[in-house]
Amino acid sequence: MKSKIFALMAGVLTLSVFFTGCQSGGGNGAAKEYKPASNVDWYVASSPGGGSDIFSRIISDIMITEGIVDANFIVTNKTDGGGEVVRNEVAHMKGNKADNTLLTFNSGCLMPMVENTKNRASNFRVIAVMAVDKQLLFKTEHTKYADFAEAIEAAKNGETVVIGGSKGDDVATYEALVKEIGVSQDNMKYITYDATSDAITAGLGGHVDFVMSKPAAASEYVEANSLIPVLALSKERYTGNLADAPTLSEVGEYNDVEVPVWRSVVAPASMSDEAVAFWTEAFRKVSETERWQNEYIDKYKLIPDFMDAASATDYITEFEKNFKESKGIQ
Amino acid sequence: MENFELLLRGFSVSLTPINIGAAFLGAILGLIVGAMPGIGSLAGVALLLPLTYKFNPTTAIIMLGALYYSNMYGGSFSAILLNIPGDSPAVMTALDGYPMAKKKKRPGQALFTANTASCIGGTIGIIILTFAGPALANIGLKFGPSEMTAILLIAMTSISWLVGENPIKGIVITAFGILLASMGMDTLSGAPRYDFGNMYLLGGIPFTPFVIGTVGFSQVISLINERNNKTEKIDAKLSIKGSLLSRRELKRLLFPSIRSGLLGTFVGVLPGAGATTGSFMGYAVQKRFKSEEELGTGAVEGIAACEAANNAAAAGAFAPLLALGIPGSGTGAVLLGGLMLWGLSPGPLLFQNEPDFAWGLISSLFLSNLLTLAVAIAIIPFLTKILSVPTKYMIPIITVVCVVGSYSTTYSMYGVLVMLLSGIFGYFLQKNDYPTAPMLLSFVLAPLLESNMRKAFIISGGSLNIFFTRPITLVLMLVFFAMILIPLVRSIINKTKKGKVA
Repeated sequence: MKSKIFALMAGVLTLSVFFTGCQSGGGNGAAKEYKPASNVDWYVASSPGGGSDIFSRIISDIMITEGIVDANFIVTNKTDGGGEVVRNEVAHMKGNKADNTLLTFNSGCLMPMVENTKNRASNFRVIAVMAVDKQLLFKTEHTKYADFAEAIEAAKNGETVVIGGSKGDDVATYEALVKEIGVSQDNMKYITYDATSDAITAGLGGHVDFVMSKPAAASEYVEANSLIPVLALSKERYTGNLADAPTLSEVGEYNDVEVPVWRSVVAPASMSDEAVAFWTEAFRKVSETERWQNEYIDKYKLIPDFMDAASATDYITEFEKNFKESKGIQ
Repeated sequence: MENFELLLRGFSVSLTPINIGAAFLGAILGLIVGAMPGIGSLAGVALLLPLTYKFNPTTAIIMLGALYYSNMYGGSFSAILLNIPGDSPAVMTALDGYPMAKKKKRPGQALFTANTASCIGGTIGIIILTFAGPALANIGLKFGPSEMTAILLIAMTSISWLVGENPIKGIVITAFGILLASMGMDTLSGAPRYDFGNMYLLGGIPFTPFVIGTVGFSQVISLINERNNKTEKIDAKLSIKGSLLSRRELKRLLFPSIRSGLLGTFVGVLPGAGATTGSFMGYAVQKRFKSEEELGTGAVEGIAACEAANNAAAAGAFAPLLALGIPGSGTGAVLLGGLMLWGLSPGPLLFQNEPDFAWGLISSLFLSNLLTLAVAIAIIPFLTKILSVPTKYMIPIITVVCVVGSYSTTYSMYGVLVMLLSGIFGYFLQKNDYPTAPMLLSFVLAPLLESNMRKAFIISGGSLNIFFTRPITLVLMLVFFAMILIPLVRSIINKTKKGKVA
């Protein structure tokens, strides 16, 4: 009898192991089963030729030419409603399409989205953060202040100091800067330009005292001595021809100000786990290619900072939480 | 003189078979892209940019430069033949181009006028770019928010020359244009305005579908209503010879083209102005000068003034792009992106580090200008055949062109919806004798004026002093006040004189 019970238990155990094996195998099989459709839609919520457009086209090109993904990428620029329409569409996309749709999403996209709409980062599946950028302040030959410390003193004494920069993340960095310095926005003013190049134009013409820019946009002007870096909005100094710019803690008794400008890729909330795993792995592979390093990171002077789906989700969620708190948004 | 030598060196770069071929290809593609409403040079250059990666940078930029440049020619084709501007600078071309082609039944001459004026304006722009490009770019830098505010105020006064016979209607429609332009996200604060909770309206009313609707689709509605009333047959001349202008007409074309060429180049250099503003200003200034026929009725001077201005502005926009690395327009930004992808560093060092490239591009603009003119004139006989198409076929053709054009601006049905609604609105305006030009002009200029004026006030802390303490601004403000006060004073003096006589 004992032997029969033992045999029965052994049989049950074997079967359970077998089925468990099948289940887990099935799970793995499902993960392997996800294959992108022949055409993958990749949306960019800004115009052709801009930073997000270049980012998306370079990645899709690397994915195809390096054989990382066997699919065609249809990169579409949709700018309706300042990009909010396509962000909303992608967030709520359902069905098979959801597994084959990507959206370029940056900190500069998140801020107006959270401020002006009810759409939130939690409405997306975050696939990966690919790189991070930070800003500097530059002076020109027209700037009457020798360095930024002098400008802070002037602002504290009631003079008006004008900084020009781009929208979104630059504005957030400016707000963090004046808050840390402890001067009012009436004394250290900010003019929002449509693009960094417009802010640089204003700086070169002497219409603003300082220009806020990311390294890539300012690089050539620094080389020509038209722009002089005076403050690194970062926790550590830059290297190369930007190394002379001190961080805020070196300028005075302040904490460093750093508002990382991240570049990420997200997908519809209903994208399957298997598809998310596939895409996050594909983006990891891209981040490890030489082309990505040479043709994007080095060329545009960004900081390579790949985060997979899980860590990128935590990172963006935290960023959104801090941003909402700073703006008093519920 | 040094620049002339450098230009000759540039010709030695651009006049190689491969570069001539690239310029020729760019010219043809630009004409096609320009003639297709809604696509425009921005999308054209952006779409073709990846195709040029395999070329060497000089050949690639020559092709894209030619495409951008010839696009300005192509924009006038559909404006003249279908009353649908191919791109925003061609809006003003339609005002005289279409009546000349349709009512006067001289489509060949209308196209010939546009092409010749484009060539003259463009040549002036390129010559100025060659000899004074870097200096002009530096002058452009002096134009900050207060200077641009003064210029835009002057430009806004030019609307009064376009209001037509009924000033009240003109003012109402101008105000409506300003109201529409204020919709969408405020560029300075990022706050939404008049979005009524609608996500689409956060981005405002897109200009191209709006223009295609008010100018082009409204005409489809007119054709539907009027097709039974008249069966007008247009005997379009189909030969190049038949499209030539008389010597007298060439004379009429010359002075407006030269004036607009100079004005357009200056406007093109200014930050954020561009070919559309150049074209509007060229036409508005022409209103102040004598034209043999009234503008808006198919006058040679009207077509010449705006076409020469927009081509010159396109050339002028290359000055800040090449000399300072500053893109004057969206298309300039894409070209700039292209330069970076090819490993070149646009900016103040481009002329020093890459002289072959920079001068090769400038010399290729001369080449593209002539190549485009030759191609544009050669295809006049084929283009004019469009007007021989009977109305019953033209209605669906124009509708398709309007739908495709407005869709390709936004890649969504929102553009099409805006076009349809604007078409109905445009038809209403047409039926009630409201002029559309002031609305379109205020739609373009008002956001620029608002943004610059607010920036000026941020700099000055809300003080008006900024408009009277900077030398360039002061001169421009005096011009502005003179323009609004002189007619007023003149009218008061005339009234006083009449009173005394009585």
